[in-house]
Amino acid sequence: MSPRLILKNLLAHPLRSILTLGSVALAVFLVCMLQAVVTALSSATSAASSQRLWVQSAVSLFVDLPLSYESKIAGVAGVETVCKFQWFGGEYRDGGSFFAQFGVDADTFGPAYPELDVVDGSYDAFAGRRDGCLVGQALADQYGWKVGQTVPIIGRIFPRVDGSAWDFVIQGIYRAKTTAVDERTLYFHFDYLREAIEQGAVRMEPGVGVYLVDLRDGAEPTAVMSAIDALFENGPQRVQTTTEAEFARQFVTMLGSVPVLLRSIGGAVLFAIFFAILNTMLMAARERTRDLGVLKALGFTDRWVFVGLTVESLLLCVLGGAIGIAVAFVLSLGVAKAIASFVPGFEIAGESVALGMGLSIALGLVAGCVPAWNASRLKPVAALRAED
Amino acid sequence: MADSDPIIRLRHVERSYTRGGEILPVLQGLDLEMEAGAFYALMGPSGSGKTTMLNLIGGLDSPDAGEVIVAGEHVDLLRGAELSHWRAEHVGFVFQGFNLLPVLTARENVELPLQLTPLSRSQRRAQAERALTLVGLADRMTHRPAQLSGGQEQRVAIARAIATDPSIILADEPTGDLDRRTAEQILDLMQRLNRELGKTILMVTHDPVAAEFADRVIHLDKGRLGRIDHNHEPRRISAEAAADVG
Repeated sequence: MSPRLILKNLLAHPLRSILTLGSVALAVFLVCMLQAVVTALSSATSAASSQRLWVQSAVSLFVDLPLSYESKIAGVAGVETVCKFQWFGGEYRDGGSFFAQFGVDADTFGPAYPELDVVDGSYDAFAGRRDGCLVGQALADQYGWKVGQTVPIIGRIFPRVDGSAWDFVIQGIYRAKTTAVDERTLYFHFDYLREAIEQGAVRMEPGVGVYLVDLRDGAEPTAVMSAIDALFENGPQRVQTTTEAEFARQFVTMLGSVPVLLRSIGGAVLFAIFFAILNTMLMAARERTRDLGVLKALGFTDRWVFVGLTVESLLLCVLGGAIGIAVAFVLSLGVAKAIASFVPGFEIAGESVALGMGLSIALGLVAGCVPAWNASRLKPVAALRAED
Repeated sequence: MADSDPIIRLRHVERSYTRGGEILPVLQGLDLEMEAGAFYALMGPSGSGKTTMLNLIGGLDSPDAGEVIVAGEHVDLLRGAELSHWRAEHVGFVFQGFNLLPVLTARENVELPLQLTPLSRSQRRAQAERALTLVGLADRMTHRPAQLSGGQEQRVAIARAIATDPSIILADEPTGDLDRRTAEQILDLMQRLNRELGKTILMVTHDPVAAEFADRVIHLDKGRLGRIDHNHEPRRISAEAAADVG
């Protein structure tokens, strides 16, 4: 079948072609977006360091560890520094804007994270001021924050008794050198939080979410992890020590098997669209049965007919897929900003484009092959007898 | 093939169809020979096997038994792509319902069979335009079938049938959907193709007037050869119909 005939057949029913094109575009768009989320989650895991360990409660990440554990962990051979990490979970501007806030030990946090590059203000200024904080560049850009500005945060996990906001004064703005650290986080002093609790400004028991352990050069992570776990084997709180990479992986898994869920949604959408396209192509071939009989009578072989109909379906799906990818790419720029707090590093990368295009081709081939095979097996006489 | 050899030869051809579990014999041991360069009309009552015979000669169908030899080739032994190639080279079809592809223009429809030849795109285009000019449609080349009258559509179909210069034209009720005057114009065109270009034409028809335009009339009856009439003076287009052609 000639390219002109294929093209004219596609244009013969513009509405049907546009709808088919649209459904493929929508399916590929969704798959690309979902794949980008999965990739972003995985890349955060792969960029994480294995030279940093995380000590958390063996029960759950949401169970705090005693403050007394810090000195015991610091005494384990191979441990360079220990830094307390506390999820704050506060809200800025009446809950309308979410970003992560962590209470950390300023003296050990900075040295443990060389990936953190303070580009405005200074780390020392942060370390020297009890209510100071460090914010990521992306966060500063979003809210127009400057060094010296006060950021009021309403504590949801740690609400003040008087209902007032926590005030953090920006002492530094950082950029991340790797995706292990995202630029939409606020770090403040753990001691600022602890003192407030001890003074009764917050009615909570003091505790530590996780301990971050920075290893000495040459220290064997596995041995240190075993030693820390063994240290608290008999309580009062058992701990689970993992590398940062493993911790990140578990965190992603904890999100409720999000990658599996996202892939399942993408697969289901594709499956549904596949049948829609298959039905369209079957209908298109069936209503052209007599034309196919004419082509065969003129001397066009069964193979010609098979290839022609397959190419027609392929063209439709590849074009739809390309549109889906293009739309996903354009929209991803905005989406990336909107979900940066939850899914840092979101982008339509080569992997997503390849997946989208691969699926479009597969969709076109499979949906095209079935009617093309039927058409190629048609006997010319029977095809010529077909009703209009 | 020697000049004296018939261009179409059917030997003991049998063909039956199964309908509702019942076997219906359509052609029952048909023997027939047709000369090259002649214009045949094929007549007979409905169900006598006219279209079946045409389809067998054109390689659109295969016999259950017997031999179908066309242009020196055992068509009954050809299969698949080989048969398609043979059809493209030797036979041009004209159908009752014209069977033009609605999405293509007149010229593109005529160019279709030329895509199976080694001609370049410009050569194909020139050849299609020549064929359309020959059938009197030089001014309708870019029209789609829906923009043409029935007679014009059938002319395009005839142009498509002769575009690759086949030796045989098989026409199945080519005037069946046309009014008398237009039918005469089509029959006149077929006569000219036969006389001026030497095409062997086999035309299935129910219409005795249409059959009068042929040199010979083959009568089929219940799947067997009845008789062959010779028209010593085939009918010519009426002055009225000729005037319409302009």
